[in-house]
Amino acid sequence: MSTEQLTSAAGPAVQSPAGAAATRPPRRRPSLRTRRAGAFYVFAGPWMLGFLALTAFPLGYALWLSFTNSDGLSDNARFVGLDNYKEVFTDAETLHSLARTGLFTALTVPLTIVAGLFLAVLVNQPIRARGLFRTLLYLPAVVPPVGAALTFRMIFDRDSGAANGLLDLFQVNGLTWLTDPYARWVLLFLTMWGVGNVMIISLAGLQDIPRELHEAARVDGASPWQSFTRITLPLLSPVIFFQVVTGIIAALQTLAPLLISLDPTPRGLGSVPESNNLFMIHVLDEYFVGGRYGYASALLWVLFLIIVAVTFLIFKLSKGTVFYSVEPERAKTKTRTIGGA
Amino acid sequence: MSVPTTGSLDRRRFLTYSAGAALAATALPGCAASVDDGSGGGSKSGSTTLTVMCEKDDFDIKAAQEALGVKIRVLKSDPTKLNAMLASKTPPDVVRGLGAVETPYFAARKLMADLDPYFAKSAVLKPADLDPVNDLWRFDGSKQGAGPRYGMAKDYSQDQMFWYRTDLFEAAKLDLPSETEPLSYEEWLDLGKRLTKRRLGKVKVYGLNVTGLGSFAPLMGMTASAGGSLFAEDMASVDFSSPEALRALKWMLEYTKADIGPSVVNPNPDGWDWPTFQAGRMAMASDGYWFGGAIAGDPKVAEVSRLAPAPQMGSNRVSPCFGATGFWVPRDSKNKDAAWKFFEWFFGKEPAQTRAAGGWGIPTLKSLRSKMPQEKPYQKQAFKVQEQELANFSVLSFTPYAQREALDGVISKVLPGAVKSGTSAGKVADELNKQMNDLIAKGKDVLG
Repeated sequence: MSTEQLTSAAGPAVQSPAGAAATRPPRRRPSLRTRRAGAFYVFAGPWMLGFLALTAFPLGYALWLSFTNSDGLSDNARFVGLDNYKEVFTDAETLHSLARTGLFTALTVPLTIVAGLFLAVLVNQPIRARGLFRTLLYLPAVVPPVGAALTFRMIFDRDSGAANGLLDLFQVNGLTWLTDPYARWVLLFLTMWGVGNVMIISLAGLQDIPRELHEAARVDGASPWQSFTRITLPLLSPVIFFQVVTGIIAALQTLAPLLISLDPTPRGLGSVPESNNLFMIHVLDEYFVGGRYGYASALLWVLFLIIVAVTFLIFKLSKGTVFYSVEPERAKTKTRTIGGA
Repeated sequence: MSVPTTGSLDRRRFLTYSAGAALAATALPGCAASVDDGSGGGSKSGSTTLTVMCEKDDFDIKAAQEALGVKIRVLKSDPTKLNAMLASKTPPDVVRGLGAVETPYFAARKLMADLDPYFAKSAVLKPADLDPVNDLWRFDGSKQGAGPRYGMAKDYSQDQMFWYRTDLFEAAKLDLPSETEPLSYEEWLDLGKRLTKRRLGKVKVYGLNVTGLGSFAPLMGMTASAGGSLFAEDMASVDFSSPEALRALKWMLEYTKADIGPSVVNPNPDGWDWPTFQAGRMAMASDGYWFGGAIAGDPKVAEVSRLAPAPQMGSNRVSPCFGATGFWVPRDSKNKDAAWKFFEWFFGKEPAQTRAAGGWGIPTLKSLRSKMPQEKPYQKQAFKVQEQELANFSVLSFTPYAQREALDGVISKVLPGAVKSGTSAGKVADELNKQMNDLIAKGKDVLG
């Protein structure tokens, strides 16, 4: 190829500036659609990178591990097919921990939502120092879960804890709180300790309900209970629905509060009382104490599928019980109209 | 804000750029880590960072940085984090560990660097000067105590010896234990019961703690002193049903049931014995000579503290070491030469001398043995008892197929229910055999 041909093939990029001015087409401003796409990618990019590196890759890696007998450390791991998944459904300890987790979820989610709503209704009343009460009730939710768990362990220690110290004042025998059968009550108490989070969300929902509706109900002769059940609860149902879904997902993955059961000495995870040996403790035990990365990964995938199934079921069951002030379908149509304008 | 005019940022181009950025981000730390070329010049660039996983008080970071000319990054000891780092092949450069129970597990998985070439060349840590306890850091693929050296102990003790408080013995009007003749385990348990003080269902003073290093290790020691062994010869199974192991298990069940000290049913909230012992809430603590280092920090406690020989379950005088705590270098460490410089400084120079003089265990270099403290009465007594006990030192090998925490975890799961329901020792032994052997078999399956 001659120099002339090369120059020609390279096109306008190798032409002189004067020539470029004469031949290059005028710069066009990118379309609105392109600029919007650019802005979207710039802002969503960090999240997408984070998602790929911290969620998609670990999930995929764990899926691969779940088909091996890997201990995470040696190079001799081999493919074992569905053996780990078969073991999940035949391992008595796994099934027991799953059952305990289900029971724990069934108990704590409704209790937390009811208690949070109750507190929200209380601090929504026009009373003096309302802000202070709201703050005080919310404060425990600010404490990191691990910190709260460690504090509870100290409070409920049999020989040196404050709980038995209090009983001591009344000449009552101390209890071994952190072992069976009392450990489950300490765990429940610790779970309820963070109810401020639920309260805040319920409070926001309550404040979103138009006051006129309650006033109209009162004029029509409705009692406070009728007003609560016929107006407040239906209008709050999307908030409660949200709390049910996120509450169940969180409860099924409960881990930090279980730290209260942990023995600080080398026995570690094995020291969790049986009643508090929930699924995530079992998973952690299999991963890092038993060194069974393959099996533990299968356990996590099973939990993931359970969560997806439960969430799907709740969405199905919620039809007709959750009241939206703006119909989702209508809202979608409206957005489309604005977008197309 | 001006919008780029050279072309649209379409999805494909965005993903290309993102992948490029991610690759660059991955490659950069690799470049940084490759500063050490492995030729012994770990610190020649002055920018090497040595990552050490250890306890807070293991050494003075500033002094280490000055002595070694490298930057030290400390990670708190955490088995979970260590396993994750080893699994991702980005381990710390130096790791604290228990040679006695961890060497076979990590060495069998080829995670530890062979330090023999470094020992051979070192003018500071000479093999001839190494105390035999350092052999706990050796593993030849099937047997502990032989093969390459993978680490070194910072100090050691015979962990079934125990410290006691004379003031609590006097308050209970009990004779002090002999300095030469070991107690039988039955006598020891009885003393523990007599020294325990209770009030309203709470233990105010523990008579005895035997579980400072978990339950499995003491059971190994007791079984050995009864003349048996918990592990089979090939280390691929345990047997709690042998007469010797059953005797040890019965003792442990009795200790737990008696509620005279921290146990799997009622763990010590302090996490280790010193705070409880110091507060006068523990009369006898089954901690070896190293505990004297903590005692030295409190003159009042030092005045009433004494060391006693390891109790015996049978006629076999065995006084093992369950820790041999020290450091090792992971095979995938990027700074092995700098790690070795750390070894020479930490094990052979000023920190080693300070530890030896402080009573924090028996030095692991023979040349430092003369520095063990003997000024104060309790130090003299402890030194004398320790010197006599050394004749009974023995190595109890550990399995490469499971971690000690896992075996302790099985005990923690089985014992509380058994104690509560009064299950016979024989049935408890069967359950322990079943669960532990299952665990060991799975570990063996992975190693192939």
